[in-house]
Amino acid sequence: MILPLPDLPSFDYIRPKSYQQVSELLHQQSEDVRPFMGGTDLFVQMRDQIIAPKILVDVKLLPGMISIEYDHEVGLHLGAAVNLNAIAKHPEVIEYYPLLVEAANSVASYQLRNRATIGGNLCNASPAADMAPSLLILEAKLIAVGLNGERVIPVNEFFRAPGENALERGELLKRIEIKPPPEGWFGKYLKLGRNAEGDLAIAGVAVLGFPDQTAESGYRFRIALSSVAPTPIQALKAEEILNQGPISEESIEAAAITSRDACQPIDDVRASGNYRKAMVEVLIRRGLEEVWSAIQVGG
Amino acid sequence: MTEHHEVPSPIGEKVKRVDALDKVTGEAVFADDLKFGSDLLHGRVVRSVHPHALIKGIDSSKALTLPGVKAVVTGEDTTNRIGLYLKDRYTFCRDRVRYVGDPVAGVIATSVEIAETGCDLIDIEYQFLEPVLDPLQGIQERAPLIHPDLGEYPVADFIFPKPGTNISNHFKVRKGDVEAAWSNCEVIIEKSFHVPHIQHAPIEPHVAVAQVDHTGRITLWGSSQSPFAQRNLIAESLGISQRDVRVISPYVGGGFGSKAGVSMEALAVVMAQAVPGHPVKVRLTREEEFFCAFVRQGLVAKIKVGATKDGKLLAMKTEYYWDAGAYTEYGVNITRAAGYSSTGPYEIPNVWCDSYCVYTNHPVGGPMRGFGMPEIHWGIEQVMDMVAEELQMDKVDFRLLNCLRAGSITATGSEMHPTGLTECITQSAQAIQWSTEETASAPHKRRGKGIAIMWKAPAMPPNAGSSAWIRFNEDATISIGIGGQELGQGSHTVATQMAAATLGVPMEWIHISGPIDTEYSPYEWQTVASRLTWSMGNAIVEAAKDARGQILDLVAEHWGEDSQNLDIKEGLVISYRSEQTLPLQNLVVYGLPKADGSGWRGGPIIGHGNFMPTYVTSLDYETGQGERAVVHFTTGCQAVDLEVDTETGQITLLRVASAFDVGKAINPDQVRAQMEGGVVQGASTTLFEHLKLEDGVPVNPSFVDYRIASSVDAPAEIIPIIVEVPQDDGPWGARGIGEHSMVPTAPAIANALADALNLRILDLPLTAEKVFFALQEKGGAT
Amino acid sequence: MAKHIISLTVNGVREYVEVPSNMTLLTLLRERLGLTGTKDGCSAGECGACTVLMNFEPVNACLTLAVEAEDAVILTVEGLPQDGRLDPVQQAIIDHGATQCGFCTPGVILSARALLDRNPSPSEWEIKDALRGNLCRCTGYTRIIRAIQDAAVGGADD
Ligand SMILES: Cc1cc2nc3c(=O)[nH]c(=O)nc-3n(C[C@H](O)[C@H](O)[C@H](O)COP(=O)(O)OP(=O)(O)OC[C@H]3O[C@@H](n4cnc5c(N)ncnc54)[C@H](O)[C@@H]3O)c2cc1C
Ligand code: FES
Ligand code: FES
Repeated sequence: MILPLPDLPSFDYIRPKSYQQVSELLHQQSEDVRPFMGGTDLFVQMRDQIIAPKILVDVKLLPGMISIEYDHEVGLHLGAAVNLNAIAKHPEVIEYYPLLVEAANSVASYQLRNRATIGGNLCNASPAADMAPSLLILEAKLIAVGLNGERVIPVNEFFRAPGENALERGELLKRIEIKPPPEGWFGKYLKLGRNAEGDLAIAGVAVLGFPDQTAESGYRFRIALSSVAPTPIQALKAEEILNQGPISEESIEAAAITSRDACQPIDDVRASGNYRKAMVEVLIRRGLEEVWSAIQVGG
Repeated sequence: MTEHHEVPSPIGEKVKRVDALDKVTGEAVFADDLKFGSDLLHGRVVRSVHPHALIKGIDSSKALTLPGVKAVVTGEDTTNRIGLYLKDRYTFCRDRVRYVGDPVAGVIATSVEIAETGCDLIDIEYQFLEPVLDPLQGIQERAPLIHPDLGEYPVADFIFPKPGTNISNHFKVRKGDVEAAWSNCEVIIEKSFHVPHIQHAPIEPHVAVAQVDHTGRITLWGSSQSPFAQRNLIAESLGISQRDVRVISPYVGGGFGSKAGVSMEALAVVMAQAVPGHPVKVRLTREEEFFCAFVRQGLVAKIKVGATKDGKLLAMKTEYYWDAGAYTEYGVNITRAAGYSSTGPYEIPNVWCDSYCVYTNHPVGGPMRGFGMPEIHWGIEQVMDMVAEELQMDKVDFRLLNCLRAGSITATGSEMHPTGLTECITQSAQAIQWSTEETASAPHKRRGKGIAIMWKAPAMPPNAGSSAWIRFNEDATISIGIGGQELGQGSHTVATQMAAATLGVPMEWIHISGPIDTEYSPYEWQTVASRLTWSMGNAIVEAAKDARGQILDLVAEHWGEDSQNLDIKEGLVISYRSEQTLPLQNLVVYGLPKADGSGWRGGPIIGHGNFMPTYVTSLDYETGQGERAVVHFTTGCQAVDLEVDTETGQITLLRVASAFDVGKAINPDQVRAQMEGGVVQGASTTLFEHLKLEDGVPVNPSFVDYRIASSVDAPAEIIPIIVEVPQDDGPWGARGIGEHSMVPTAPAIANALADALNLRILDLPLTAEKVFFALQEKGGAT
Repeated sequence: MAKHIISLTVNGVREYVEVPSNMTLLTLLRERLGLTGTKDGCSAGECGACTVLMNFEPVNACLTLAVEAEDAVILTVEGLPQDGRLDPVQQAIIDHGATQCGFCTPGVILSARALLDRNPSPSEWEIKDALRGNLCRCTGYTRIIRAIQDAAVGGADD
């Protein structure tokens, strides 16, 4: 067993001047250089002796990194270094994407969320990342910037394995773009921890629904999960059941069971895989029921 | 005699904590806040990564060449064993490691970082041994021996190790004829319970700084519940005089037992000996805190109880197997306390108990709030519920029928002193409307109510003593010297109240001298066992009476009156006869001039007092019987009203009533604060806590992985209830409450859960997952 | 390892300090500036004992680098009293007996101060939620919550 260090190990801290400079640094010495924003994942991993970078680049200082912009046509653009409290208190996020507010508020503690960023949460690519399920069902686009300029990575292609994301050598996550919310939508993030609030998820479930004439049931649902597979995942089969409809207690139950069966959770200190599976079913059912009662036209 | 108005005494009043201002301003100094200047060196410890192995070689040569490393120490540098009741360990391991975390070497360097790097450069060669990972395995005849030299260890005369086995203490109770009694029982319940290891998790981690001067005298600064015991044990282990060890301990940031006795402090001392003149600081990381100081021992409890048709308890047989870990600073005495308290607070004519302290290759079991009582009551109080269920008796009635009252005979054949247990039971049951059935807040939820009672004595040597002094300043403000530590329990405030009340001065005049310094503070055995209000309180009252007597004699002589007619009120000496008054100012230091100018009388007033119980008898080794096993028992009851989510297994505590007989609440508000804190700590250990050990390796030693209750987990309502049946030898009748308030919490919750779901869980903790699967197994909620 | 000269304002005082890259804000405050009211309970963002206000918002000083505090305004427990008067949160903690060992108390007070600054009359749930990152092993939280309700302007009910 390797015990955490009493203090942070040595490294050099760099305030970058440009995206270009960071990309070059990352490209040249990718083993030794790490970008960071809140440091709430990175510092902990350094103290735990999991990684030992020699240079840390404070990329939240780059232009645009902490901006939040909303436009009815374009949607929401979040700089990668926007911290979770900034998301949760932004008036237009509260109005149009309450799901994101719920997800952000579910993380750790208020003081930690002043440092923890949305981009860091994604880049860290933990299976338990609380922001991931909501971004998956909102079909967020992640804007990476590298030596060859910007590139779009759909969020559902971003998570590769625990701790591994789709960024390439020299690339940095710059921005997260989310479409304007569909008409009449309602979303819910339900997280189960060992205690009432603030734990890492035993299971996290994001559910989104909205009226959609192109779906057979007249409604489209999206479902994503955290902490129950090597990466955050979508429950596409379960979504399909609901999109085909009709939406009823039975189809909701079927979707919940299908979601459960889509998970491959592990046993860890927080919970067993079996409990996680059982809880996915419960949380999905609860989420779907709540979403369904909120979006039913005339219902 | 003339009219005089009664000055209100601070005893029993709502009085604010005397340490609160220090604590809200950040002025309160804790051990880690002390400043030592540039001579300070830092120590880090190389710890065993194996649960059980022989040390075949240690190579520190690489570490010693690292710039900044000043010295490396190992077991070679420690000669005598150390230990409170049983001297069973070396400060740094010699020959053998016995748990993951056992200190093997210490590196002293100019910075923490260099010391840490130095640790990485030390090579240790091990020869693995088969570990003992369970007390039931440990007592097997063929089990690997963890302490082959057990027979050679010095041991206290009330502890009975069994050389050639892993049993470091065996305590027996044999009262009446248990085997014959079973046939007269209508109902017999027999169950096994399991209590896992948990950790105290004070928010302040352990820290110690030691310095050795060139004559070998040692000063140790630390976060300590036991400065005097540390002084004694460290001096003994080094073969030096207690005079030459000085322990200084400022405010303690939470102890709960983890900072009692000696744990990591001795490491700092041995390291400091290698670099005379330099203070050496050792600070545990939070992760080390979880398994390198003390943990609460695990327990396997087998309990069998029988009752007659009309609900009278007739016989009880218990076997307690303590998972004591690699060494046993306090475990042997926890084992003893569990034995003499083995029945819980019930009167039972036939009792049999075997309580075994078993060495395992687990972290060192230390004392934790309740000293074995939360662990044994977890089983006892569930079994009692089951007996009542079987008899179809109300659980409150069942307890009222069988619980101890004044004059009842306890498990050790001793007579119970007056106690307010029955009031505690009725009042806490009433507080949650025991007989009212509640409706759950949703169809998938269930409500349930449960109750549990408890007793606990201060578990300590029979002659654990306290002392105090009282010293006046020119303006009649007062410094009080005590050796009892303020851990948050409020002892400084209670000490101030008692001194003020006895002396007849305003509380604001009094200051508790700090930090506790064995060089200047009077002796106090340890700040454990919820004993300060009672024991140290008695010493303070004595000291105050002594000072008061000196003052009254002086003034009586001065006025030519009888001191019987004099009193001190609000800092004024008054005569009820002549109605003269004299302020304490000046006279308490400078004395008083004789009227005829022929000189002076008096001198600086200093009062001293002590207290030591003298009446505790020994117990027969074979039967555990004796006239007076302990000084006294605090009793109490908690009643829980909860809701459980049948789909997730999550428990929500709605109301917890907590009633204890404290004899006399010197400071009722602080008593309530202890009860509130105890309920939440108890609930946290019940619902979440388990230090998971996989093959001896702790796998969740951090607050992320080992959850403790946070603000969002506090029960919606805690109802503290004070019952006061005075203690004959307590100051104003007071006895302790600090630990007791978490003793019955776990079984009360389990009993409420059983009420809600009609199922029993016998292993702690009651995680949502465990509740969920128990419910699945049972086929769902009814 | 490179050192950085930074300037920051701590409790209203402008400080210029040279810090190594890996020094945390917590170490800077405690060991360089002697402000030991801020505590270290875990060094890992878990316990909240190190909570200070950085630009008026609470952060875990153990997970913040000192260099990141360049130009920042830092408030620690030592800086709370104004003109010799305790902050209402400090006073309420005393009045309610809401401190025991006191090790969590500075962090609790700063979390509460920041809560009341952004939400002058929080509900009981909002108080609990804002404090969930400040572990307290002693008090059971109930008194802390009552104290903050008391310190809140208007002391709103749920
Ligand atoms: C006590 C505690 C509790 C926590 N609880 C939760 C919880 O409940 N839920 C949860 O989801 N998380 C939790 N976390 C994890 C963490 O706080 C979040 O994942 C947070 O959002 C990470 O953001 P950050 O800015 O701090 O990331 P950082 O630590 O700064 O970075 C995270 C990773 O991303 C890389 N990186 C940073 N910026 C970029 C960039 N622009 N481009 C590419 N790579 C980049 C870093 O090199 C690092 O590998 C917890 C952490 C702690 C310490
Ligand atoms: S010390 Fe920073 S959160 Fe614990
Ligand atoms: S008062 Fe001790 S941790 Fe809060």
